[in-house]
Amino acid sequence: MNGRASGLRDRFRRSNRSAYGLVLPYVIFFLAFVAYPLTFSLLLVFHRWNIVTPMEWIGLKNFTRLLEDPLFYASLLNTLVFLLLHIPLQVVVALGFALLLNSRIPGRGFFRAVYFMPVVVSGVVVTILWQQLYSFDNGLLNGMLRAVGIGPVPWLVDPRIAMPAIALMATWKNVGIYIVLFLAGLQTIPRELYDAASVDGATPARQFLHITLPMLNPTMVVIVVLSTIGGFSLFIEPYVLTGGGPMQSTLSGMLYIYNQGFYFNHMGYAATLGFVYAMIILLIVLLQRRLIGREQTA
Amino acid sequence: MKFVSVTVLMLCLIAGCADQGKSPDGGGGAVELTYWPAPNPQEIQLADTLVRRWNALHPECLVRMQPIPVSQSTEEVLLAAIAGGTTPDICSNIQPGALYDFVRARGLLPLDQFPGFDSIALERAGAELLQTFRSPDGHIYQLPWKSNPVMMFYNKRLLREAGIAGPPRTFNEYLAAGRRVTKDTTGDGQTDIWMGERDIRPIWWQRLFDFYPFYIAASSGRTLFANGQLALDERAAAEVLAFFRTCYGEGIYPRTFFQAGDPFLLEMKATHFSGPWEVATIRKFAPTMDYGVAPLPVPDDVTGPVYTYGDFKNIAIFSTSQHPEKAWEFVRYLVRAEHDLLLLQLCDQIPVRTDLVTNPLFAGYFRANPVMAEFGRQLQHIRGIDTAPDLKEIFDTLSQIYEASSVYGSTEPQDAVREIVRRTNIIVEWNR
Repeated sequence: MNGRASGLRDRFRRSNRSAYGLVLPYVIFFLAFVAYPLTFSLLLVFHRWNIVTPMEWIGLKNFTRLLEDPLFYASLLNTLVFLLLHIPLQVVVALGFALLLNSRIPGRGFFRAVYFMPVVVSGVVVTILWQQLYSFDNGLLNGMLRAVGIGPVPWLVDPRIAMPAIALMATWKNVGIYIVLFLAGLQTIPRELYDAASVDGATPARQFLHITLPMLNPTMVVIVVLSTIGGFSLFIEPYVLTGGGPMQSTLSGMLYIYNQGFYFNHMGYAATLGFVYAMIILLIVLLQRRLIGREQTA
Repeated sequence: MKFVSVTVLMLCLIAGCADQGKSPDGGGGAVELTYWPAPNPQEIQLADTLVRRWNALHPECLVRMQPIPVSQSTEEVLLAAIAGGTTPDICSNIQPGALYDFVRARGLLPLDQFPGFDSIALERAGAELLQTFRSPDGHIYQLPWKSNPVMMFYNKRLLREAGIAGPPRTFNEYLAAGRRVTKDTTGDGQTDIWMGERDIRPIWWQRLFDFYPFYIAASSGRTLFANGQLALDERAAAEVLAFFRTCYGEGIYPRTFFQAGDPFLLEMKATHFSGPWEVATIRKFAPTMDYGVAPLPVPDDVTGPVYTYGDFKNIAIFSTSQHPEKAWEFVRYLVRAEHDLLLLQLCDQIPVRTDLVTNPLFAGYFRANPVMAEFGRQLQHIRGIDTAPDLKEIFDTLSQIYEASSVYGSTEPQDAVREIVRRTNIIVEWNR
């Protein structure tokens, strides 16, 4: 009996060894690229460090600075403004195009590919392209406006217009992926529901309101969550287009963290900002999960 | 045994390879120094000429010239090089504002320890200016090399057409001229000619061409810090903010930036604030432009010489140098009077010398280039950037407050000055 048990134990150990061997590469990767940077950034929160000089322990000084830093509050507010502009615009535009591409129109496949193209193009390339479109003196948009007698619009230098201009560009860049998600959602709605509604005399508008929208609710939730997370990582667009101006109206949270870390070499303060932002995103995600959970239970 | 032999052979080979190019001073081979000049074509040409001459005269100490690797800024490259221990022996593109970090990282050697430093430095900068280059630890880590004073370029034709005889000297004269110069020439409702234009994006170094030189001029030569403490001349700062606020508020400056080309070269604006490097640009891209150079406008009650910001680029020796004495010899060679003349001739940049306008060696150059003579005269009244921590972030903050108060007029100048003091003190305090 004992001999049989030890044999089993040996086999178990051997199979464990193979399992450990198989997971080892990922464990090494995780330790090097996730656990170590995360632990190091937590350590940085209590230090001042500019990469070149030795780290200096400063206790909670980074947090006290953050509390009186107007740019932290500005960046947080700007990110929320961006989300408020970007998410509804994204949903409406993506849904509109998805409905159009779901109908039987000629060249449907071609248009699906065209709308998806900006998603696969590099963010920097797209931003430089839009910089030319938005140019005050020789931009295409202002050229078209001039042709119809409207003065040039300072797209990127008016603090009231700059963030909506960035939200418009971000929508153009990302809308393709959400069109695909909506299309997938639309194709799961049973055709019989529309047939039954038609028999009952429902107009296309009522069918949209009472069948399409409710049936797309799960897709909508996914899109809102994805857009929220994506919105918090807004960086390339303001970095290339405006540098966070005018009057910090486009300074996003990520851009401010980058500036503090790699422009001013304040690694400790940047880590503190990152830590606080992570907490804020975590709170929002938890809130969203709770709301979604409640909806699903209901 | 065989294994031991192979190992010993390998170690010998590695040691031999590692030793290449690092001949010690008394070892019989030539000493090699690395010199990093600025990466622009004119300065590379100057450095190449000087290094060739040096190497011909000093076969025992050869200098290898390598332009600073191109990046967003020289300061980033140098900081990365200090962090990686890959700094050259000598660099001639040291911005005094970045020196604090270099010294704190123990990347530089104090130059005042070398023989003859005092006399050379005093001859170049004079006692008063030299003090501004002293680091908080009392040492001087940089030898003043060149400085490009920021002055006002003005388009004579545009001023003449507006009925203005000469360059404006005061804020009020400037604003009055601006109201006459700024106009819509095509009748389409859009302004075509501006009195001035500045890049309004809140980029920290852009303030070195508007707020900061104007502040130095309005305060008769004050900088931001004194003895490590913020010492802002609040009256002068408020006057400068108010001046630019009027320029934007009255529409003699556009609240945008142009992408179709430099508006001064295109003769779309009457004044432009820049340094002597602009002369070569005008010669190349707008050779027919009729222009002049004058000191910056100042508040009406400012008397005496007009000061401005001088964009200093100095020479430093890095602490990684294996041959600091030889490096110092090369630095002394770089700043000889005849090489300063070459700096003027090849680069149109102003060497820091107290005798620049009196030394007969330079007289011929200034006679042939009267615009450059204006910069030479201005050299007597310039200020640099303080050697203080986090200057980049402080200028970034200044930039944001200038943008809010002057460009968009959303903050009163007095409130803006209070905000500059408050936010700068937060940065300084955090760094203490």
